[in-house]
Amino acid sequence: MLTPSKDVEKMKEFKINAQQKTPREINRAIKQASQENDRIIIENPNAMHYLIAGLSKPVDVVVDGSAGYFAATMIHGARVHINGNAGWFPADNMTEGEVIIDGSAGDGVGQGIYGGTVVVRKDVGSRTGEIMKNGTIIVGGNSGFMSGLFMMGGRIIVLGDISDDAGESIIRGTIYVGGEIKSLGKNAKIEELEEEERAELKELLENYDFHLEEADYQKFHKIVPRSARPFYGQESEEG
Amino acid sequence: MCGIAGVVFKDKKLHPVGKFMTRMLDALQHRGPDSAGFAIYGGLGLDEHEYLLNIEVKEKPGLLEEVKGKVNTAFPIESEEIIPSVENYIIYRCKVALDSFSQLKPLIMDVDKIEDVMVLNGAHSFEMIKDVGLVKEIAARYNTEDKMGTHAIGHTRFSTESIVDRYHAHPFQSYIIPDITVVHNGQITNYWKIRDPLERKGHIFETNNDTECIVHYIADKLAQDYSLEEALEQSVKDMDGPFSYIVGTPNGVGIAKDQLGLRPGVMAENNEVFAVASEEVALREVMDTSDIDQISPGESRAYTI
Repeated sequence: MLTPSKDVEKMKEFKINAQQKTPREINRAIKQASQENDRIIIENPNAMHYLIAGLSKPVDVVVDGSAGYFAATMIHGARVHINGNAGWFPADNMTEGEVIIDGSAGDGVGQGIYGGTVVVRKDVGSRTGEIMKNGTIIVGGNSGFMSGLFMMGGRIIVLGDISDDAGESIIRGTIYVGGEIKSLGKNAKIEELEEEERAELKELLENYDFHLEEADYQKFHKIVPRSARPFYGQESEEG
Repeated sequence: MCGIAGVVFKDKKLHPVGKFMTRMLDALQHRGPDSAGFAIYGGLGLDEHEYLLNIEVKEKPGLLEEVKGKVNTAFPIESEEIIPSVENYIIYRCKVALDSFSQLKPLIMDVDKIEDVMVLNGAHSFEMIKDVGLVKEIAARYNTEDKMGTHAIGHTRFSTESIVDRYHAHPFQSYIIPDITVVHNGQITNYWKIRDPLERKGHIFETNNDTECIVHYIADKLAQDYSLEEALEQSVKDMDGPFSYIVGTPNGVGIAKDQLGLRPGVMAENNEVFAVASEEVALREVMDTSDIDQISPGESRAYTI
């Protein structure tokens, strides 16, 4: 987990009641509050869409409940903790920061991220990590159809099962799966992990309070691309 | 985009399901502002063979009397109500007793022949409410918050191809068997492939709307003794395109989602309630839970009472 910039006792905290407010009003209030506070708490979010969009300050934001679609989209540096669930596309296009979701999430978790870490403690929907360029996505439960679709970098770690067409058209990056891989997408193949990778996974997962048995780490497989130029071009052009 | 919702009270008793569905749809209002609709099951309390007709009538001198005369000639009107709507239309509601369900569709088609008149629906076990405008406006116009029932489905519409009017508001209903309704978010791209065989069997299509195609498809399957679950499972295999839709029947509610998972669907359940919707925000209006299931691509769920 990213370390908060200051001791909790010294942190300046600001609360925003989302009730009766629009996403635009809340996001404006978050951006203003982020200038002078270290921690922002959003109360009564009621699964509202577009919360914390475009926040580029390295502050802590707590969503005290569930968020709707595009939670924490396009953030750079913020540390977001959603106590409930999230809808479609949480952390979409994040470039740096952290989004932790205690419940489940919908489709497109971490879509197009360039950096940072997304953690969902329970199940997620389809197309997890589609078109991501870098960064890390951790799923505590199962991940749905076409996870890692056209993934171009970074890593996805699924502790449970991964559904059909995993790694469809994957170009770069790695999908680690602790459970069952239902089927692979085009250009995807399964490989065994090196011991170094297991150690790296363990360090990462422990850091996010996922405490697995040693035997569980032995069950992990990884999905990687067969080729970086699967559709056209030459192997010599693989980048 | 469109918002869809469904709720079932598992104890089969009457609950203020109109109020709950109003809240669910209001929470989904951002998904579509064009029209909204409800199918509220279990609260009408009609006798066997009694049916409630909802008829859209333009405010023109003598037109309502012509409608009443046409209905009365076929079957005596037992009770009636007039609900003011917008754009110079009223909704004329009347209760009639038929000899059998097979007389309902011919009666509707006969009344539809009158210019500036359209029968929105005829039903025995559910109340159809649908109109143009926002959920809250429609709820106030039709007192949806006072409606009791066992289960309901509802819709907020973001129109894409079909026109915006009361008839094209969801739910859509089929008359292949009684009281089957559908609300839908998406498009059925192999529409004609689904419609053609249904028309060859004699089923009547009133519009070119793909939601009407779904409701006839499901009703046709149920008429062939498919269970609701089986009909939904088969529909996902037969239909192409991005869609999620909810079916209402006299004793249940079900949801299906396309095989690529291109339209949303979530579900929550406890000992009292089964609820499905486009988004979690609607489920939270009927139950206090954070345990939300994402409907997977190609998956269907149903609950019957």
